[in-house]
Amino acid sequence: MNRKVLGFGVALVVPLLAILVVNLGRDPQRIDSPLIGRPAPPFSLAPVGGGEPLTLDKLRGRPAVLNFWATWCAPCYEEHPVLQASARTLGPDVQFVGIVYEDQEENVRSYLRSQGSAYPNFMDAGGRAAIAYGVSGVPETYFISPDGAIVDKFSGPLDARSLADRVARTRAARSASR
Amino acid sequence: MRARLGFALLVGLTPALALPAAQATSAPDELPGIEDAAERLGPPGARPLSGAELEAETKRVSALLRCPVCQGLSVADSPATLAVNMRNRVRELLAAGYAEQQVLTYFEGAYGEFVRLDPPVRGVNWTLWLAPLGALLLGSLVVFWMMRAPKAPGDVALPAERPAAAADPLPDDAELAQYVLRVREQVYGWPGGVRPAKTGS
Repeated sequence: MNRKVLGFGVALVVPLLAILVVNLGRDPQRIDSPLIGRPAPPFSLAPVGGGEPLTLDKLRGRPAVLNFWATWCAPCYEEHPVLQASARTLGPDVQFVGIVYEDQEENVRSYLRSQGSAYPNFMDAGGRAAIAYGVSGVPETYFISPDGAIVDKFSGPLDARSLADRVARTRAARSASR
Repeated sequence: MRARLGFALLVGLTPALALPAAQATSAPDELPGIEDAAERLGPPGARPLSGAELEAETKRVSALLRCPVCQGLSVADSPATLAVNMRNRVRELLAAGYAEQQVLTYFEGAYGEFVRLDPPVRGVNWTLWLAPLGALLLGSLVVFWMMRAPKAPGDVALPAERPAAAADPLPDDAELAQYVLRVREQVYGWPGGVRPAKTGS
């Protein structure tokens, strides 16, 4: 009798414990993007300060880093120098693009005036691009291969190493797609 | 003035310098409509809606979507900017003639199944529906099993070698002990209130 109860309890508790242990280190808020490995959604974005809209087609041919950010986002301040340094180091080999999320253009102008930018930034009217990419908060960064597929997505502020690793993978996707 | 000029150069010229010049052909009036939906969903599967019908459908379909930045609120109920933008997107898609299922698929394609407040019954989602039934069935079986196998009277009998005094303890109070023995004699028929020793094997 006791052995049966014990066996039943173990059979019930062990799988639950296994699920708990496997998921202990996992961020419950993190949801993998269904867009990974799929074609990046097309967009048309107006440049900050005016000018010709940017479309996805214009990014084809080299790896691209799409960074959704806002001036009201504290982690974006933290991430800004990392992105700028990387964009300057990599030069024209990788196209960095800033997409402003739920913000006023005047705030963005003021921010860029004080902080500088090594790459172009664009306003996302009505949050269309953000919705198409499944953005739910900033900063979020998407890595797009030269043939227009989403290689990876990173939620939160990127550090230099995380960014370098992902850019390397995106560039490797370039070789693979050739 | 210098700062303004520098900024204009920064935000205005950088894209032109950084992006391939040969591909610059889009006009501002091409700012996005439903082109990404068309690419993902194909042609619209319903008739375009407008007016009060469009608003009612927008509200109904938005209520099926989870606001990604809220705690358990639907896109229809949330005042968050993202939810407002998503509602507007729903409205645009319905106005373009996309069916409810296509609209849900559009958002699911970007945010995952998480965005649906009423996940479809498929794949691993079956466990959500079957697990409570399974638990109920398992619990019923356990209860049934426990009720079906009550202890037989013989199972609780004391071992023959067990001393009677240990099996039928008496209170320390001598007077009370006498009463207990009398009760045992009358109720159980034990001579003198003492359990008779087992006979035979």
